[in-house]
Amino acid sequence: MSLRMKTKKEKRKGLFYNMPYEKRKAMYGYGFIALWLVGTAIFFLYPLITSLIYSFMDVSPQKGGMTGTWVGFDNYVKVFTEDQKYRQYLVSVLGDTLWKTPLILIFSLFVAVILNQKFPGRTFARAVFFLPVIIATGPVYNIINGDISSSGASSAGQFSTMFSTDLMGELFQFIGIYGLTDNMQSMIETVSNNIFTIIWSTGIQILIFLAALQNIPVSAKEAAQMEGATAWEYFWKITLPYVSPMILANLIFTVIDSFTAPDNKVMERVLEVRHDWFYGQAAAMAWVYFLIVMAAVGIITVIMNRFIYYEVD
Amino acid sequence: MAKKEKQPETGEKVIGNGLSKKEIKRIRMSKMDKTEIAYMRRKEAAEKVWPFFRFLILFGLCFIILYPLIYMVSCAFRAQSDMSDPTVMWIPRHLTLDIIKQTANAMNFWPTLGTTLFLNIGCSLVQVVTCAITGYGFARFRFKFKDLLFGVVILMILVPHQIISMSQYTEFRYFFGLQPMIADAFGSKVGSAFNLIDSPLTMYLPALTANGIRAGLMIFIFRQFFKGLPKELEDAAYLDGCGPFQTFIKVMVPNAASSFLTVFLFSVVWYWNDYYVSSTFFTNNSTIALKLKNLDKLLLLELFGTVQAQVTPREQILWMEAGCLLAVTPLLVMYIFLQKYFTEGIERSGLVG
Repeated sequence: MSLRMKTKKEKRKGLFYNMPYEKRKAMYGYGFIALWLVGTAIFFLYPLITSLIYSFMDVSPQKGGMTGTWVGFDNYVKVFTEDQKYRQYLVSVLGDTLWKTPLILIFSLFVAVILNQKFPGRTFARAVFFLPVIIATGPVYNIINGDISSSGASSAGQFSTMFSTDLMGELFQFIGIYGLTDNMQSMIETVSNNIFTIIWSTGIQILIFLAALQNIPVSAKEAAQMEGATAWEYFWKITLPYVSPMILANLIFTVIDSFTAPDNKVMERVLEVRHDWFYGQAAAMAWVYFLIVMAAVGIITVIMNRFIYYEVD
Repeated sequence: MAKKEKQPETGEKVIGNGLSKKEIKRIRMSKMDKTEIAYMRRKEAAEKVWPFFRFLILFGLCFIILYPLIYMVSCAFRAQSDMSDPTVMWIPRHLTLDIIKQTANAMNFWPTLGTTLFLNIGCSLVQVVTCAITGYGFARFRFKFKDLLFGVVILMILVPHQIISMSQYTEFRYFFGLQPMIADAFGSKVGSAFNLIDSPLTMYLPALTANGIRAGLMIFIFRQFFKGLPKELEDAAYLDGCGPFQTFIKVMVPNAASSFLTVFLFSVVWYWNDYYVSSTFFTNNSTIALKLKNLDKLLLLELFGTVQAQVTPREQILWMEAGCLLAVTPLLVMYIFLQKYFTEGIERSGLVG
């Protein structure tokens, strides 16, 4: 069978079939990605480059496309000097990401460790914890999170979330903790008041950690048991090192997720400016933001790579 | 004889030598030193207390996650008067379908559901196939500029759609810059046919070329998955006379079936929830997500005939929650039946590792 096929192939002549095998395979490789390559050139690279060019121009819409004049770095200067809101949103989004990301990671690792144990109702619990992934990317999330934007209905928040009340303050009073500094207390309160947002953005992270936990070799578990490790020691000496590569993956995922979320304030500002026909300025805003995101991801990768334990390498 | 020994008088389970579990434990304990005994005691205590705390933690967290859903159901079926009744917390006093009906009318629910599903499922199917092909190309072939091109895939994951959406809009509006020329040559009637805004093609064309919503991530997942399959599969197929395309269809795709399903499901969810990309390309709100985004205005138009009508948030929240329920239910039904593929598939599909 195979011999016959080969002779048949050899009979075919032409440039393609005279190539060496390796080269021919490379051509097949191009064949496989050709569709994507065409699409990316049209729908991704071209728009990306034009938006970069627009950010240096004063653009106005014209029949058949955009026209504009070259203004150099004017748009970028304007973004930082004139637009108060943009700067403010940028700082708040960066700050939010900074304190929410570690919390999300710690929380999702904690939940993943629990969900990895055997107990009745585990499948149900896993299903519930993954539920936010299905819902949280859509407009439904904005409504249940209490920020209904238009027609002055923002106070509707009190009906849709119960987590905005000062439960933490009351708890502190109840336990009898008064000595906390204001700063400390306000910090704890922001965290507890945002617990809804944090839990609702951990679905994928929990799954990734769960998969990593299930990959811990049984031999490591047994060795720890023989040595009489407590659960605490086991977590720090076994679980954490084995999970560390996934911590990086999760960290990057979380950062990108929070930076590119459509309900992100900076993104909304970009849209607002665009609706006011300042296309060049909107493009400049988006690019400043994007470069900051890239820088953040780069720094995280470099720093984290020092602490990661790879079993194979 | 042996059978008789297995029936202890005390009713405790016999393990070996006719000793009960308790006796074995006592003997073992007497041989241990103090630290070992302390360790065993602590472990035993932890094993008894921990399930209780675990239940508490999980119950609380599950409640936080499910709270909005429960609230949605509770709101959607209550009458407007229940909102100002302080005794109504969860269970409405007047069960009614009025709110749901009004919201469904305002959203034009069934036709909208039809168009949404047409866009969703069609685009997802097409995109899964194209992304799988691309991912396979990146996973199994060596060619020049491969690393550079894969860098572009990573860039697709990182770049927010907001950056490129404006240029994409002009591309579709003016048919890649050709529309004015076409309009000049064939008249404005033919020209306006090449205005792709509001046509499903704005979603289908990118999906067809593996550039739809989150296509970068999907290509990445497929590449990881195909990289994990053994190389021998292809060698065997080659020896049997399969070309690369035949190998892909006959050998690789059947192996990747569950991975295909997972990515497809995620794609459906992403398309369903997307309102950003579709709001750029659709001027009339034709998908569920867009309707929900503008539900407050749609409702005022439907109920009072004008956008200017004043409604208190207390009243409005009922309709909003009912709208949420309508928008979430199809996804939830899908999730309940295919939950296994969501949670287990992601591990197998190679996103991890």
